Amino acid sequence: MDEFIVEMRNITKRFPGIVANDDVSIAVKKGEVFALLGENGAGKSTLMSMLFGMYEPDEGEILVRGEKVKISSPAHATQLNIGMVHQHFKLVENYTITENIVLGQEPRSRFLGFLPAVDIKGSNKKIAELSKRYGLEVDPKKKIEDINVSTRQRVEILKMLYREAEILIFDEPTAVLTPQEIDFLLDIIRGLRDSGKTIILITHKLEEIKKVADRCAVLCRGKLVGVMDVATTSTKTMANMMVGREVSFGIDKNPANFGEEVLRVEKLTVKNQDGLSVVKNVSFSVRKGEIFAIAGVSGNGQTELADAVTGLLNSSGKVFLQGKDISGYDVRQRTLEGISYIPEDRQAVGLVLDFSLEENLALKEYFKEPFCKKGVLHSEAFDEQGERLVKEYDIRSGQGIKTIVRSMSGGNQQKAIIAREIELDSRLMIFVQPTRGLDIGAIENIHKQILALRDAGKAILLISLELDEIIGLADTIGVMYSGEMLNIAPAETLSTNQVGEYMMGVKAV
Amino acid sequence: MNTVIIDGLAFAIPLFIIAIGGIYSERSGVTNLALEGFLGFGAFFGAAAVMVLTGGNLAGIEIPMFFAALAFAMIGGALFAMLHALLCVPFKANQVISGVVINILATALTAFFTSQINTYLLGKPTNKFVLGICERFTVPVISKIPVLGAFFTDVYYFIPIIIVVALFMTYMLYKSRFGLRLRACGDNPHAVDAAGGNVSRTRFIAVMISGALSGLGGICFAYSISSSFSPSIYAGYGFLAIAALIFGNWKIGPTLAACLFFGFARSGGHQLTQTLSLPSAFQDVISILPYVLTLLLLVFFSSTNRAPRALGEIYDKGKR
Amino acid sequence: MRGKDNRLPNPITRGFLGVIGNEKRQSISIPLFAILLSLVAASIVILLLGKNPLTAITSFLQGSGILPKPDYAAKKSILTDFMSMINMWTPMIFAALAVAVALKTGLFNIGVSGQMLVAGFVATITVGYSNLPAAIAMPLVLVIGLVCGGAVGALIGWLKHKFNINEVVTSIMLNYIFQYVTSYFINSYYVNPVSRQSQPISQAARLTLVDVNIASLGLKMDIPLAFLLTIPVAILVLFLLNRTRLGYELKIVGLNQKAAKYAGIKVGRSMVSSMAISGALAGLAGVTLYLGYYNSIQPRVLTSVGFDSIAVCLLGNSHPIGILFSSLLISIISKGSNYMSSIMGVPQEIAQVITGLILLFSACGAYIRFRVAQAREDFPGKKLKPRAQKVKEGGDEA
Repeated sequence: MDEFIVEMRNITKRFPGIVANDDVSIAVKKGEVFALLGENGAGKSTLMSMLFGMYEPDEGEILVRGEKVKISSPAHATQLNIGMVHQHFKLVENYTITENIVLGQEPRSRFLGFLPAVDIKGSNKKIAELSKRYGLEVDPKKKIEDINVSTRQRVEILKMLYREAEILIFDEPTAVLTPQEIDFLLDIIRGLRDSGKTIILITHKLEEIKKVADRCAVLCRGKLVGVMDVATTSTKTMANMMVGREVSFGIDKNPANFGEEVLRVEKLTVKNQDGLSVVKNVSFSVRKGEIFAIAGVSGNGQTELADAVTGLLNSSGKVFLQGKDISGYDVRQRTLEGISYIPEDRQAVGLVLDFSLEENLALKEYFKEPFCKKGVLHSEAFDEQGERLVKEYDIRSGQGIKTIVRSMSGGNQQKAIIAREIELDSRLMIFVQPTRGLDIGAIENIHKQILALRDAGKAILLISLELDEIIGLADTIGVMYSGEMLNIAPAETLSTNQVGEYMMGVKAV
Repeated sequence: MNTVIIDGLAFAIPLFIIAIGGIYSERSGVTNLALEGFLGFGAFFGAAAVMVLTGGNLAGIEIPMFFAALAFAMIGGALFAMLHALLCVPFKANQVISGVVINILATALTAFFTSQINTYLLGKPTNKFVLGICERFTVPVISKIPVLGAFFTDVYYFIPIIIVVALFMTYMLYKSRFGLRLRACGDNPHAVDAAGGNVSRTRFIAVMISGALSGLGGICFAYSISSSFSPSIYAGYGFLAIAALIFGNWKIGPTLAACLFFGFARSGGHQLTQTLSLPSAFQDVISILPYVLTLLLLVFFSSTNRAPRALGEIYDKGKR
Repeated sequence: MRGKDNRLPNPITRGFLGVIGNEKRQSISIPLFAILLSLVAASIVILLLGKNPLTAITSFLQGSGILPKPDYAAKKSILTDFMSMINMWTPMIFAALAVAVALKTGLFNIGVSGQMLVAGFVATITVGYSNLPAAIAMPLVLVIGLVCGGAVGALIGWLKHKFNINEVVTSIMLNYIFQYVTSYFINSYYVNPVSRQSQPISQAARLTLVDVNIASLGLKMDIPLAFLLTIPVAILVLFLLNRTRLGYELKIVGLNQKAAKYAGIKVGRSMVSSMAISGALAGLAGVTLYLGYYNSIQPRVLTSVGFDSIAVCLLGNSHPIGILFSSLLISIISKGSNYMSSIMGVPQEIAQVITGLILLFSACGAYIRFRVAQAREDFPGKKLKPRAQKVKEGGDEA
């Protein structure tokens, strides 16, 4: 029994409306890299959140070092030497790296000789030492808001090490990194294993598992499908187990047939609240029947670029749509000129969650006839369009077009947005992270839709953090790094590694 | 000139401690429009305690009763602030609405209980508790310095007390473990939760501190402005404190500057009506000065200042 | 979350869920629950004072003309009291509608009292002190109310849009400014030296007919003409919010500003319009109060109607029809408090306390809803949807 450092037995966890984990049992050996593989929504994160004390299981038991435990809080998990790097980093932006790391376990000193205070000076030294020891270079005095994503991730790892964690959980750690940064991270993970730590890696990327994991458990729709030795299992087998059916790799694409230029962006610059340029002097153009994809690590100005093209953000520079200067147009006018926009954050931007499905489906057209005549809305028009789109795009919901969108699943919310935007029949369609957080079936579907739109002669601007998606779909690729467009080239002339290098700011020669 | 400084200080310093209360609450992520209610209820509680302890006869024991009033005002403010904390933290109510509700409730409750207590103790339902006068002191040598000396002349007893409390609260917020966690709660509560801190408890305590400090400020206003507690305590000082902390960018130092500015503007205005011997109705025109200033300053500062990132956000453990 | 296996709800929980569990009825059942809680709380206070809470509640109803009093003075009856209550109810409805329109846009108009004062003051010094005949004066008063209130509301919305100033802070600052400025003018130019209030307005401009002799009944009573407007205005607001393009835009802005921008809605303009409409309604409330219920203005005092209207709005779920009912309740409490106080010897301030408590419990509405939903999760009854089906839908970012 002793060889397992963590055992989770017959874990069941229910959330309103779904069973996130259904009778799942896993056992992790000390000193191994144990991968949890599964699609989005398969229940990997939920399972690990229970190990980290964020939820309690409804049924089943957890054993750590052979002892049965009831982990009631992250603090308790920390006491058991369990640490976790969350998918969304949990960092305080306006604190220094040191302050973030010691938060919750602050070393004491005396202020004015008698008042208890947090020992920041001593901590700075300690963190510097720690980061050197594990090869995770950081400057302890820098503020989080001033450092990039991969450094933030290092801070999260240091946070665990500072707490002397023995069992390290990584939740989708590579989602936000460039290929080169991923390799570096996997090296760190190997290093941690070699120094005796146990690592649990949550991921849906098979290559990473192949590269670094010893064993792998596959989850599908809340259930454990199987546990296998990575060395002796093929990627294909793992993929099929993960999805529960045969998966086809790669995307079928018809040869490109470019037409006239639809979108031209000239010297576009966007400034943020502090007056710093987040998009710098960017120029590019997209033609009919072309998928122009912009690659880049999160936070390099891609989202702002899309917002500026659609008029959500103010910018300097020029935007032309089919030769017409629309730089001075507002959002509504640009939409009417022919821009559809699938935004990155579907819940916070793309939808009004407390509105019904039919109201959301008319969000871009409610002011036009037949929805609105002389300022008065006509519900029949909403009903009619709602019913039609629900059928055409197979949008599923509890109570049809009257369903409150908040209660719909992420995939169906995205379907609703895409249906609405396609329905506008715009010349230009902008997709930002269209498949984020969706399962493989839904992703395939959206990819097909994008390709069909391209073949139908739309100009498509695709912004994605998923390099696979970009390589698979793009006709032309541009890479953004710290607000600049570094390189624009036909997709077939670029390799994944080259794009990765540009993403890290290595300029084209 | 001296009167302007003396009166200005007497107004600015209680305002400052109320604003610090607001900073505590807002830096922890709880929007606090209830300062007005807190300061009123705190002042009521302090004054009522004095009434009950003395039966309305203060002769000879004004000074000990002054300290009692201060202590009870802080206790009362903290207790009443629990309502706001309860609504905002475990009950997850809308924080703006809660703040407004608390203010209305404070006015109603204090009016009701004041007349009840007075009926019981004095036999007549007046809306007022008479407090003694707060003593003042003058620092012997320093007060002789021109202009600067005014800061040390005729100083209310409560001013040094508040300054000590303010210094301690500044240390707490910026140096202590509690302060580090509190400020983190206002920026990213999830980080605190993941680091093993207790967001709900921290916020709850922060709101209670806010109540205690507002209560202290409130009772000092009661002493300095009318030597009594009456419904006139609800004159918008809580909202001035909010304006001050917004100008101060949710930081204690700059907030002090804003409070001093308000204080001197107010006393300067009063001085002006007197020196120009304007008709009494002009008093009304002068009275709008702090409010107009507040609006004007907000016009200049609101768009550039940064509120704590998680301010007003209801923290839900399950959400990511 | 707690386990849901083999635990049966106790009878109290079950009864509670039965009454308040139905989501469709919650918009009514939760406010009723809030009222019940506050009545219980108030009853405890009255009991502690050694008085009978039931008598107190009855006397509230008697004072407001719902139940008959034991005896009446000459030319007075229950109808007189009832009309008088309606006279007070009228501004309350407009004021609460004002709060509701702003709230739908995600704005909190706590400046209703100030807007009422400005509207009432301007109408008083222009039309109220003129010799215009009633047929011109009354409509003019209404228009002035709408315009003045609307202008103040628009200013608040504009400051929020242009300079990002929290509308609550602006409103409160403006409340104080109006209070002092009108006080200055009244005291300097329009004061009645005896009453220390502004001079009474001309009868022709007053929206309530006072002490009308109804010979057939042998009664003298007040007839609040503006009450005739309340129900049409409530329906108009309902139509505006649910059936018009403007209402649709306002609601989107209130629910999700980013989505509103994304949909091409001008958020700033929506906020200004919303506050202008809200202010205009507050203006109506102002003229019906100061040139209807009263006929003069007391300087330096903001009416409590503007603050009570927040309670009314929350209690009525910000729904115009709900507001008609909730405002009736609050009017009964404030109107009846006088009589109750004289009968019971309980200070009149208890009325404000009860209103405050209703407000407090209404603010907890979201929490009650949340707890009910949770309790239902814990005790899955007949209404629970089959779970497996939802999982198949998939794609939830769990």
